[in-house]
Amino acid sequence: MSTTYKAETNVTGSPVQVTPEEARELEQVGVVVDSQERSGTYILNDDHSQCSPIVVGGLELLPIAYALKKYDWLSEYFWQLVSPDKDEITREIAAQPEPQGFFLRVRKGSKITMPFQAALHMTSPDSTQAVHNLVIVEEDGELNFITGCVSGHHVHRGLHLAVTETFVGRSATVTNSMVHNWGPGIKVRPRAATLVEENGTFVSNYVSLEPAGDIQMDPLTILKGDNATARFYTVILGSADSLIDTGGTILLQGKNTSAEVVQRAVSVGGHMIQRGLIVGENASKGHVDCSGMLMGKAGAGSIKAVPGIESKHADAQLSHEASIGKIAQEQISYLQAHGMDEAEAVSMILRGFLTQGVVGLGEDLDARIRDITDLALQAEG
Amino acid sequence: MDTTLEVRHLSVKVGNDLLLNDVNMLIPSGEVHALLGPNGSGKTTLLMTIMGYPSYNVVEGQILFGGQDITHLDSTERARLGIRISQQRPPTIAGVKQRQLLDYMVGGDAMAKPEVARLVEMTGMTSFLDRDLNAGLSGGEIKRSELLHLLVADPSFVMLDEPESGVDVGSMKIVGQLINKLFTRDTEHPALRRTGLVITHTGQILDYIEADKGHVMLGTTIACSGNPRIILAEAGESGYEACVRCLAEGACR
Repeated sequence: MSTTYKAETNVTGSPVQVTPEEARELEQVGVVVDSQERSGTYILNDDHSQCSPIVVGGLELLPIAYALKKYDWLSEYFWQLVSPDKDEITREIAAQPEPQGFFLRVRKGSKITMPFQAALHMTSPDSTQAVHNLVIVEEDGELNFITGCVSGHHVHRGLHLAVTETFVGRSATVTNSMVHNWGPGIKVRPRAATLVEENGTFVSNYVSLEPAGDIQMDPLTILKGDNATARFYTVILGSADSLIDTGGTILLQGKNTSAEVVQRAVSVGGHMIQRGLIVGENASKGHVDCSGMLMGKAGAGSIKAVPGIESKHADAQLSHEASIGKIAQEQISYLQAHGMDEAEAVSMILRGFLTQGVVGLGEDLDARIRDITDLALQAEG
Repeated sequence: MDTTLEVRHLSVKVGNDLLLNDVNMLIPSGEVHALLGPNGSGKTTLLMTIMGYPSYNVVEGQILFGGQDITHLDSTERARLGIRISQQRPPTIAGVKQRQLLDYMVGGDAMAKPEVARLVEMTGMTSFLDRDLNAGLSGGEIKRSELLHLLVADPSFVMLDEPESGVDVGSMKIVGQLINKLFTRDTEHPALRRTGLVITHTGQILDYIEADKGHVMLGTTIACSGNPRIILAEAGESGYEACVRCLAEGACR
């Protein structure tokens, strides 16, 4: 059966240090520094990396620069899913003299049920953060990781660039829950790609509820092995003046692979684009489901849904659906007739809308969505 | 507590259409009245207006509850005064679970309260607790869900919009018994009843509620009032218009 691994000793070895203010900001995105319920913590504060000791066996965490020196074989993974020449974002990340970011590895057969957490935190008033993360989950491994991205409230302008390459081994399972909490002046450009081997599962939950400036991303997932599965759940609140363009491209290369892209967006004045593209290259199944709700002043915001499917194989079963509407008055009235005030009714309906068809976000994200209404109502009010 | 409902010279528009014209009605505390009449005569409009739904625009007249003018209160305020409705076609709310609504209504974990758990069981809604509100329910299930909310809310004035519609014969008895329970405040004092207004087409529900009075709506207003059973018998034989003429002439059986 599987080998037993001891908890790794890391280069830093000491617990991560943050100020109380930083700790509060990180908690907003699900990164709880002193939690006993995390298998490990990585924090990148502007360009300062900290790795916590790892408390469970089979999980390894290193700053990426250190890992690249330690393991020659990482060259078979580093920059293999994302090309450094992809665009100006990747070129800027590749041009760094020493990469920032983390290397995370789950050893063969290790089930890391306690979540690992990583925080990408921008705190300088005007800064650029360029990150390159590498995640390798070996055969039969299991990883649940939380990525919290947040900018301090005094950061008025910033640029966050990130490449994350994730390798999901045979029969391995990876769940990534990402919460963004960027300020209105931050431009965010993640470039993520994931490779999933035979019988592997990759689940990505992405939640952005706070006012965000300008986010554009379209992570690529390649289901290379037979029976591999990917699910993308994206829940976004677009406040006034934000520009949020989220997608997910999934290539169904293996036989009997399956994928689902579910996007939920509420705009209270923000401009949002929901994309999703599933490409069937083998006998496979895929479904893209985008739905949006437009609130706030007329003409203030917009939602564009672009669900896409492309088939290159006769046995690929692909489908998509999309709808955009406003909150239904009869639903508000119905709940008001049960004694709720209007704000409570709108809150309950929005929460329901954002989470319908979205499964297993976990308590942290559920709790954040519970708070969403206040934000929506504030933005609208 | 005075739970008298009074409607005075009420005229209501939805959009540009006048759907109620000079409606007058008095339901004294503890009485249950039946609202009868053909489709499109304004019965549902009257109930939705009493509930305070915003698309029902009162252009004239007043609604009083317990002596208080509630004409300009919103649905929330009316619900909190104890006015509740069972709608005929309640909206589906995606992602909102039956359990969440019940939790809201009791201000906590509804199923932890034995009396609520009993009502959930009695209305047969146990397996619907974690389903989206009103999604994919049959006619009988909608009624049971709506009745569950009313029983949990324990209101002082209840409106039911066609409680028998869409309910199959097998479910009619349980729906009827739930409604009977709803209006019977205290089994030891059957005369102490919840005040209410019930729309019925067939009169079937009157097997389960002792209605004190019936009102016939015809052409956007109340055309006549009287004993609901006599009205239904007459209307069943010769139609509502003949029934109204007959009552006006005082020539009914």
